Amino acid sequence: MAEPSAGRIAAPNNGNVPKPDAVLDNGGREFANRLLPSGVTFGAQVRQWWPYYAMMAPGLIFFIIWHYVPIWEAKMAFEQVRIIPPNIWVGLKNFQVLFSSPIFYQVLANTLIISGMKIIFVFPVPIIVALLLNEIRSGKLRGTLQSAIYLPHFLSWVVISGVFIALLSPTDGAVNQIQTALGFQPVSYMTNTGTIRWVLVISEIWRSAGWDSLLYLAAIFAIDPQLYEAAEMDGANRWQKIWHVTIPGIVPTIATLFILNMGMFLSADLNQVINMQNDVNASTIDILDTYVYRLGLSTGEYALATAAGLFKAVIGMILVITSHLVSKKLTGKGVW
Amino acid sequence: MTLKKLLLATTAMAMVGALAAPAMAQTTLRLVSKDLLTTNPDDMKEIEAIEAALKAQGTDVDIQTIDLPGGTSAYVDALGVMLLSGDIPDIIYFQGGDQKMAEQGILEDLTPHIEASQHVKAALWPHNVDRLANYPYLIYIYPPRAPQPVIRTDWLEKLGLQAPTTVEEYEALFQAIHDADLDGDGTAGNTLGLTGFGNTGELDSIFNQAFGVTGTWMKNADGQWVNSRVTDAEKAKIEFYARLAEKGLFDKEYVTNTFDVKEDKFYTGKAGVVFGSSPEVIDIYAGKMRQAHPGEDISLTLLPVPSGPGGQGLAAVDVSKESRGWAISSLSEHKEEAFKVLDFMASKEGQDIDRMGFEGTQYTKDASGAVTFTDAISTWYARFFNSANWTPPTPLLSPTAQAALDTIKADFTADNAFVWPAEFAADVDATEQVYRSWVAKFITGEAGLDQWDAFVAEYNAAGGERMAEHARTVLGE
Repeated sequence: MAEPSAGRIAAPNNGNVPKPDAVLDNGGREFANRLLPSGVTFGAQVRQWWPYYAMMAPGLIFFIIWHYVPIWEAKMAFEQVRIIPPNIWVGLKNFQVLFSSPIFYQVLANTLIISGMKIIFVFPVPIIVALLLNEIRSGKLRGTLQSAIYLPHFLSWVVISGVFIALLSPTDGAVNQIQTALGFQPVSYMTNTGTIRWVLVISEIWRSAGWDSLLYLAAIFAIDPQLYEAAEMDGANRWQKIWHVTIPGIVPTIATLFILNMGMFLSADLNQVINMQNDVNASTIDILDTYVYRLGLSTGEYALATAAGLFKAVIGMILVITSHLVSKKLTGKGVW
Repeated sequence: MTLKKLLLATTAMAMVGALAAPAMAQTTLRLVSKDLLTTNPDDMKEIEAIEAALKAQGTDVDIQTIDLPGGTSAYVDALGVMLLSGDIPDIIYFQGGDQKMAEQGILEDLTPHIEASQHVKAALWPHNVDRLANYPYLIYIYPPRAPQPVIRTDWLEKLGLQAPTTVEEYEALFQAIHDADLDGDGTAGNTLGLTGFGNTGELDSIFNQAFGVTGTWMKNADGQWVNSRVTDAEKAKIEFYARLAEKGLFDKEYVTNTFDVKEDKFYTGKAGVVFGSSPEVIDIYAGKMRQAHPGEDISLTLLPVPSGPGGQGLAAVDVSKESRGWAISSLSEHKEEAFKVLDFMASKEGQDIDRMGFEGTQYTKDASGAVTFTDAISTWYARFFNSANWTPPTPLLSPTAQAALDTIKADFTADNAFVWPAEFAADVDATEQVYRSWVAKFITGEAGLDQWDAFVAEYNAAGGERMAEHARTVLGE
């Protein structure tokens, strides 16, 4: 078989490559069939398209080493880990220890509540931010605003928690000073079990809304301008264009990110919580990750930590599959 | 013939030399510690000095330090992963996570080494002896950490009060600080008597015994061992803390304060009294206070351990095990040499290096041999030990810090806490969370002391009852 020339590599782009929508709609089967017609072996395909496979190889190797090989080590969850091998098989003992802890269910409830709050209140904000940014006509203003709202993403939670503790201080924090000036009583937001979860939500929005809007903004920019022109010709106003063109145009992106977020539902952000946690609010925002960190990693109980990780992974997988199926049914879009 | 003899002699000498060579060969020791990094020139200078001193004593070692991420929690995590992967250095500094390693048999029992040691045995503090008897895998020759309170001397003089000696006098002192305008900002009533950070551990150091919290485990009215955290003595202590906070004398924001925020409140006059965690730290506070107020000759006064309704004394010292310290790998092929390093660091020569640094940098010597410390000593710190039997040629501590150390020496009481078996890990964690959370709620006012029984019930349900039952089997009648 002849080596592919530059022209042949470029050929699919000029020829019969299906549109991305088609790939999404039929799970890529049509695309695969065109690339790999019957009678042509996989080896022959690799030889023909080797530059593409070569480009894909580093990513593939990375995933195999760092994401697939470690799956095998999840068996640690069922073992007593020995530094001097072999490990001892203990069955479900680590899970029993985990689930029998009196605070495990409180920790699980905290995780579900905080993650739920973040899905409800944090997840939509980047979408709104992207829609608003898209409406700014001045490129310079949009660029400046984008830079400003991306900035918090690059701050660590150590810094952000310091900022929030100072801002929310009941004695000399800016928020409480404004509150007091308006005639309200100061509130110790960081040590109030009723407010601390909202502090987590708001600080998460402050940190990530700008950065996370990037994906949605990219999806908005990819919408065919002819659709907007057609809407204008039909007499659509700005709001109607957003509602009938922009939002439907980014639904696949929203669906995909929502499903992926569901997979991380039980990861309510260890770094954020550990930096915001104190003795008063610990019982309200102690999540699975902080619990595992304390009980598993700090004391060297790695099997226990792995058991908790596996528990989270299984729940995450169930949530991904469920939300994929629901999304498919409601929007016709999913992650596969 | 002569040539033959010469060849034979040369060959024989070469063979003897070759045989002798391994015996004289340098031993490579791998050492991991968060305070000994190849990136820090001072650390490497100390390692080279240790190697040279040991070589002069006939032990030729090449100490190779392993760099792990800085910061305590990052170090503990990285060390755990390194050991779990089977990479086990000869000498290991632990700051948590050691118990799991000891359970797996990778840490050497140091008892025989200490028994045969030239220096370590004599350098131990009393609590070190108890801890090593209970858990012979970690050694950390330092005085117990017993936080003690300090106040600016000029503030105490301005108030016209004597240093408090009872719980009531402490409250009166805090009230006087609060009511006076000591910071000179023109507003009285905006200075805290006392601040802290994180939890009440520092306060407990001097108030536990005063309220009758004599140890981790105390006997109740029925003569049964119960955790002191659910006793009436503890309740009285927490009531005292809560009253101080309610009156604005104790910083309610101690929960969210970090150690640097606590210090800042002290230096800027927002709080009158803070606890120094060790004599050395008290001197650091004094230095920083002078830096914050250039031109003023400010010194600190150590406040005494108060008496109260339950007694007097520093909190009982946990002697179940060292919470941090040095271990030797039981898998090491050079255990003797590894211990020699630790033994040397406990000796006078080792302590001179570890505590004082280097001549010409951290100190100078005059013709008579008298030592004068330079400004560089303020950034020098011991990487290994603080031997009980070592005294510096010139006082290293200020009189205030020395007084704190003298109190620690004179006021040592061993606690009856013990090492928990692994199956209690979840209970220990849960009860700790419940206790810390309720104490903070009581002090900040989120919960009232009338809810004490609810706290006790939650504590017992979280594992406190199971732990108490186990304690009764360990402590006996």
